[in-house]
Amino acid sequence: MRTGACVQAVGVLTGWGEGVTALPADAREAATAHPVIRLTRPPLEGERFRRATRECLLGVAAVQQMLREAGLERSAIAGPRTALLFVTAGAYGASNVEFIAGRAGTLHFPYTAPSALSAEVAIEFGLTGAYVILIGGPATTVDALWQAGRLLRDGRCDRALVLAVETFDECEDLWRRARWTIPAPLVEAAVCALLVPATGEATAAGSGTDAGLEAAVQTRAGSTLACGPLIALALARQAGVEAASVSGTWRGRRATVDLTTSGRAAARH
Amino acid sequence: MVGAGVATPVGLDLDSFWSGLLAGSDGLSAIERFPVGDLRVGRGGEIKKLPPVAAGVRSRAAALLIAAAADLKGRVSLEAAPERIAVVVGTALGGVEELEHAVAGDASPRRALDALYDAPAHALAAWLDARGPAITVSSACASGATALGLGADLLREGQADLVVAGGYDILCRFVLRGFDALRSLTRDRVRPFDRRRSGLLLGEAAGLTLLARERDAPGRSLGRLLGHGSASDASHIAAPDPQGGGLERAIHAALGAAGVDAGDLDFVSAHGTGTPLNDRIETAVLRRVLGGRASQVPVNSIKGALGHTMGAAAALEAIMCLLAARDGLLPPTVGYEEPDPDCALDYVPGACRVARPRLMLSTSLGFGGCNAALVLEGM
Repeated sequence: MRTGACVQAVGVLTGWGEGVTALPADAREAATAHPVIRLTRPPLEGERFRRATRECLLGVAAVQQMLREAGLERSAIAGPRTALLFVTAGAYGASNVEFIAGRAGTLHFPYTAPSALSAEVAIEFGLTGAYVILIGGPATTVDALWQAGRLLRDGRCDRALVLAVETFDECEDLWRRARWTIPAPLVEAAVCALLVPATGEATAAGSGTDAGLEAAVQTRAGSTLACGPLIALALARQAGVEAASVSGTWRGRRATVDLTTSGRAAARH
Repeated sequence: MVGAGVATPVGLDLDSFWSGLLAGSDGLSAIERFPVGDLRVGRGGEIKKLPPVAAGVRSRAAALLIAAAADLKGRVSLEAAPERIAVVVGTALGGVEELEHAVAGDASPRRALDALYDAPAHALAAWLDARGPAITVSSACASGATALGLGADLLREGQADLVVAGGYDILCRFVLRGFDALRSLTRDRVRPFDRRRSGLLLGEAAGLTLLARERDAPGRSLGRLLGHGSASDASHIAAPDPQGGGLERAIHAALGAAGVDAGDLDFVSAHGTGTPLNDRIETAVLRRVLGGRASQVPVNSIKGALGHTMGAAAALEAIMCLLAARDGLLPPTVGYEEPDPDCALDYVPGACRVARPRLMLSTSLGFGGCNAALVLEGM
């Protein structure tokens, strides 16, 4: 799949730390005996976050990290011309289990919806444009990147945030039951990519190739599910490649998308 | 939209669904499948018995989807290479009932994987032998509309030749307990836009359409999906924006994509949940969008008949629009009897109405500030 989109910035938070420079050379080795590499609850303040779940705060923190990397003020992304596309395979699991187990109060129920996370992000940054929430793993994030490119190309937005968040800690037991499909370590992550329209037609051939990046993410980050393709974008940008083919595999399906990865211009307003 | 298939509380196939809507049937009843004795409200649009095709399917959510898909396949042919058939479905709850089982002690690995919200879509894709993209949208109760829109995008961009698109959700204890705790459920009947409306009731259903590019569509189609739009409220985690800003942006985005002027709309299928807030906000938005023609454009809600079927709602409403255009009949808003000064539109009260709309708008809202709109054209 081709897009006319350019990646202007990627904010990466993983259980290993901030940015792709924090990733170990070999996640399995670095994880030692830990099946889950956890992200701590971001210390965001304010009354509005009083009930917010850890995964919601991680979404907000990932966007903040992306803005820092891009050198942008939050006003640069506010408003109806910014699309928000959120992807997760299972970040809703923790809040769902809380609710099922009866450990959560009455007002917790709305937080069981996957849209709670993207809602907190939208509220925090004033994002009122096109809004898409997809459920799935790496291939689904590729679908979201493609969709973001299409929204940009059709002029339906000036910029698109593709956000992925995965948490595992609270549902470690459930994820462990599925270990025959998802290799350890499970690494929590919250990643946000800012996409803007590409100015030229960059080709991914000979630069960051899909299979290499996908394998590099698994080796260096571990299993980050929906966050994987966005981490791949960050790795491609770190390597200085102009364009990348980013792929993801989930439930037997592999999807690939081509993106320009060298965008450094200021976001269009 | 080449064809459609459904499984709903008022009918387990497209024909009985449509005749049930036209007759003003009430599909809401006492819930029998799981315990509700500790809840304030134990009624909903429960399907008492799924069709035999769904027998043996592990999760009820997947079974419901497969029931609708079987109805669809009985009406239209899915002739394309499996790799060129995509599945895009919307859901608010996915496989959450499987999570309830998993947490309750069923330790099987399959149960854990079926608990993921995208599991039923993949089960549907496997049942259809569709090997193209299998996408799950979870924009809460606006999911079905966005799923139809994404499906159309896949076709437009050549990512698939056929798309099975729609939405589903089941009634389970998880969701009933949640809405009950929020006191969103009514002890009365569901009364969209009525002065006495006091809340919603939930329902379970699946609605699927077969989408194809117009040049590839075999035979007579149900109608066209001309445009879709979505927008975030960025206002509140659960409640809609009091000004309806997100819904209005979604509608204008859909109209813009369709190349349709609001003044040309003949009919609106509203979200119309029957909650005091939603119906007032939605009415105000429709009045702004429709302008001087607002009182002349019929608006209905089918949630009085089915309950709020969450991820299925928008897909069923889109199907209803196209059937209305095909047959020249608008289903009534079941439960609407007493006008509310805050909701002053033509809500198709009483019985079905003879009218043949051509251009139609369908609106959807959901938790998390999700808004979506579809513009449809009847054939």
